[in-house]
Amino acid sequence: MEYLLETDNITKRYGPIVAVDHVSIRLKQGEIYGLIGRNGAGKTTLLKMLAGLAKPTEGSFTIFGESAEKTSRMRDRVGVLIETPGLYPNLSAMGNMKIMAMIVGENDDLYLKELLEDVGLGGIGKRHVKAFSMGMKQRLGIAMSLVGHPDILLLDEPINGLDPQGIVEVRELISKLNRERNITILISSHILEELSKIVTRYGIIHNGRIIDQFSQSELLRRCQERIELRPSDPTKAVTIIEKMGISDFKVVDNSVLHIFERLEDSGEIVLELAKNDIKTLNISIKNENLEDYFLHVTGGANYR
Amino acid sequence: MFNLIKMNLYRMSRAVSTWVIAIVTVCFALLQFGSLKLIFDDPFNMFSGEAGSMVAFDRLDGVSAVTTFLQNGNVLIILAIFVVLFANAEHKCGFDKNLIGLSKNRWKQTLARWISAVIGMTALIAIGFGVMLGLTALFVDAFTFGSAVAMFKSLGLMYLGAVAFSAIFFFFTTLFNNSVGGVVTSLVLTTGIFNLFEMLMDMLVKKIFSSPKVLPTDIFYDSVFMNFSHSDASTKAILIFAGISVVYIVLSLLGSMVLQQRRDVK
Repeated sequence: MEYLLETDNITKRYGPIVAVDHVSIRLKQGEIYGLIGRNGAGKTTLLKMLAGLAKPTEGSFTIFGESAEKTSRMRDRVGVLIETPGLYPNLSAMGNMKIMAMIVGENDDLYLKELLEDVGLGGIGKRHVKAFSMGMKQRLGIAMSLVGHPDILLLDEPINGLDPQGIVEVRELISKLNRERNITILISSHILEELSKIVTRYGIIHNGRIIDQFSQSELLRRCQERIELRPSDPTKAVTIIEKMGISDFKVVDNSVLHIFERLEDSGEIVLELAKNDIKTLNISIKNENLEDYFLHVTGGANYR
Repeated sequence: MFNLIKMNLYRMSRAVSTWVIAIVTVCFALLQFGSLKLIFDDPFNMFSGEAGSMVAFDRLDGVSAVTTFLQNGNVLIILAIFVVLFANAEHKCGFDKNLIGLSKNRWKQTLARWISAVIGMTALIAIGFGVMLGLTALFVDAFTFGSAVAMFKSLGLMYLGAVAFSAIFFFFTTLFNNSVGGVVTSLVLTTGIFNLFEMLMDMLVKKIFSSPKVLPTDIFYDSVFMNFSHSDASTKAILIFAGISVVYIVLSLLGSMVLQQRRDVK
């Protein structure tokens, strides 16, 4: 089994609205897959389908190599935290954990205590959940998603609404779970900077569609400083650039060249292209962070 | 299924609403006992021995105690509020998101929730009726226990009716997916508001058909329950009542389970 979770053109329609549009993603064991998208992009709907809370209109998905129809008995191996955690406000953290444990047939109170300690709620006592801060609720939600000893965690906006301290705590917790328990994690967020600190692979979802997927190293490469060159004849320009001894470059959208080396030689490149009758329509030196990159590919915030 | 029922009973036992409703039920039982004491023993000579003009029965025994407590809109309202709040608690706090995805057969979760609601409701009836019957037997001079068989037969039939009502309340709560919808429907059914509508429908049916064999009040459960006189009912009437109750239980549960199975979690 190469992939722990795999979707095949999964689609969700609500009447005429297509919330998730033929999405295909794959998660390998041990990965932290970051699903990036604006509000309303389809992140939550996709996660709800994978969590068994909504039925796909079209397409399918497999978990642990088995189709969704057969995964029922394995569902407790998938921990879920969708949007805000579902908690009984008049119960303590332990009370909520016990309810979750009864559902999955877990009888070990000691294990539940360990989980609460792991998420930093060990000494919380019998305080009712309604008196918890948002960060505490999120951490309890994560602890509850761990009750069934899951191999996969589906976390939808787990850092949403948290203060900076809470964000750091939840981020470190997610990293720890991945590192120490080898849990594969699918996490959605629009707080990109935080996501970029833990994620190993990204998927950008926009208007229900996955428009790009890349690894952390690929992102670093895409965001690194580069010459962006738009020549009049890209195919011919590639030959010229190779002749100049430049090998670290990439053609984007069949019209733009990203050159990652000899950044100080942009003038020489333009001259060489001109000698070969290739006009330089545009040339600039750029670098981006994840946020810029996201805006770039989704065309948001009047990105130029 | 056993785990689900265990979990539901655990959360029920820790819900504030359960204990508030239990207290209200006991208070109601005390009120019923006080009324029976006043009417039948008449310590203040208020009724001059005309107890029959105040209640639907002229002698106070086990069967009439069942009628007083269970065939009563007020008790049904208490039970309705209990069932509605319990049935909707998971959805209200979002806990259903943790639960529903765990099983492909979501209908089992619905069935387990209803079974748990019936267990809770049974406990409430037992506490309330027990308090009322105990106090009445001890302190109302006019009370004679009568036939235990007759009392348990009445109790069984009225309990079946209460269970059928619980299934109906449960269905409407599932349908509307919120407590307000469930409570409003329950109040309409238990306070007699819907009964007025049914009587109008009866009149309409009688106008259209000269001698109709079945009238709306024979079918709609609030009328079936309230109009059933179990103290002197024939075997045929008892079977019809039990049959209609079972049909309502089955249909309401099937409806709730289908809704739960097909609906996405919002």
